[in-house]
Amino acid sequence: MGSRGEFSPQTLAVLAALSGQASAWQHGYALARETGLKSGTLYPILIRLADRGLVEACWQDEPVPGRPRRHLYRLTANGLASATTALAEAELAAAERAATTTRPGANPRRRRGVAAPVVP
Amino acid sequence: MSWPSRIATAAGRGALRLVPAGRRDWAEAVWAEAHEVPTGWPRLAWRAGGVLLIAKEGQMARRIGVLLLGAAAAGAAAWAAWPESSVRLSHGAADQGDVIITLALLAGLPLLTRWALGPPDSRAARWVRAGCYAAILAIMPAKAVTDMFVGAVPQGGLDRHTYDLSNSNGGLPVPGTVSGGPDWGGEIFILFITACYVAVILALTARRTKVAPATLAISACAGLALGLVMFAVDPLGGAKTATNPWLHGSATDPLVALAWVLLLSAPFVAGALAAKRCHVPDDPCQASVARAWQGFAAGLVSNGVGALTVTVLGISTTALMLKSAWVRGWLYHGQHLTASAVYGRELYASGNVAFYVVICVIFPIIGLIAGLVGSGFANTLRPQPGSDAGELTVPRSG
Repeated sequence: MGSRGEFSPQTLAVLAALSGQASAWQHGYALARETGLKSGTLYPILIRLADRGLVEACWQDEPVPGRPRRHLYRLTANGLASATTALAEAELAAAERAATTTRPGANPRRRRGVAAPVVP
Repeated sequence: MSWPSRIATAAGRGALRLVPAGRRDWAEAVWAEAHEVPTGWPRLAWRAGGVLLIAKEGQMARRIGVLLLGAAAAGAAAWAAWPESSVRLSHGAADQGDVIITLALLAGLPLLTRWALGPPDSRAARWVRAGCYAAILAIMPAKAVTDMFVGAVPQGGLDRHTYDLSNSNGGLPVPGTVSGGPDWGGEIFILFITACYVAVILALTARRTKVAPATLAISACAGLALGLVMFAVDPLGGAKTATNPWLHGSATDPLVALAWVLLLSAPFVAGALAAKRCHVPDDPCQASVARAWQGFAAGLVSNGVGALTVTVLGISTTALMLKSAWVRGWLYHGQHLTASAVYGRELYASGNVAFYVVICVIFPIIGLIAGLVGSGFANTLRPQPGSDAGELTVPRSG
């Protein structure tokens, strides 16, 4: 698990946000703000991660009066290990790309997509 | 809360029901989280993401595709079965009633079944449903063609003579019209049989009836084999006039023996296999009941599918025979029939399609009895707990 290319840049961003406070439960809106992802992108990612046992989800025990209960997310132990590995590999790959582009004669064309997040 | 917000909330709650139960929490989560998003465009964009999630997780593209395909097939069948304006009013009303009520049954019963017993939850269940619907839609125009042919009074000549002979109890109909009024009792009975078939197939393929996908697959295959052999035996509604080498229409043929064997053994074998694959741990009493249920369902589906298959093929062949010289040539190849003889055979075959109604009633009864016997047989052969024989797989949980 956690091999290079296994996770999309968006998924890596979600893993990075979740591993920032690995033991704490986090809300969907907070994750969206941190990753910059829209709800239509964020939630399918959370669903796939939960299906693979990397993320666990639960409903808030005591809701705020007048508001519905919120769904909470955090990494499982397995998810934390996978996230750490995947993020380290992504950082390494980004460093390799940066070194290639700064080398004389290298193609300076930039790649599209979300930048790999920094491991906290 | 403003009224647009109320409407959006109500629509959201309704849309959540489109998402499978296992994914509903996630769709609800997006909706609940929208309360934390600043009002205005950000909240609207958040909810739009929720709608996308519902569409994706609810497999809306597939559902809409299936719905459009079903509507197109139903529309084509209704168009083909709809009576022409030249048909006398009483017959036209009966045929129109047939079409409308059949389509209403096909559209309404799934909603009722979904509410009472849940949706289909396996590929086998969906295929059996689709096959049943396709068969009923195919029967509709074919039946309309045969109904109109058998009731149309020839203008005169030998055809009129043949018609009068075959309808000697029908009074003196006017040439060039449609004879008598519609057989309302018969029409209502056929609609009742159609409703029973649709309801039973929908119920047996619903989640809460707990018929295993393997049971459905085994029994549908057995039913298809039975239907094909029965069609070869009775290609024209029991009329023994076909001479095609593949469709003898003969009562003294090895194929007939095979048809009888299949009629009794297909549901028996399907019931036995379905029961054999059913394993309920710990409780022998519960296990016996579960096996009997699988056998019952297998027998019913097997012979129900068989009856539908032979009916579709038989009525369609009869209808095509009335419309196409090529099909007549195929059925009676090598024979040089006069026009009057051809008309007589067409008339005979059209009148004999009622035979399929009998098949549709009798076959499932034979099937459920044979299926139960088959499951009982499998139960007696089952290894007792503690023996060395390997356990069999559980077909489906919950």
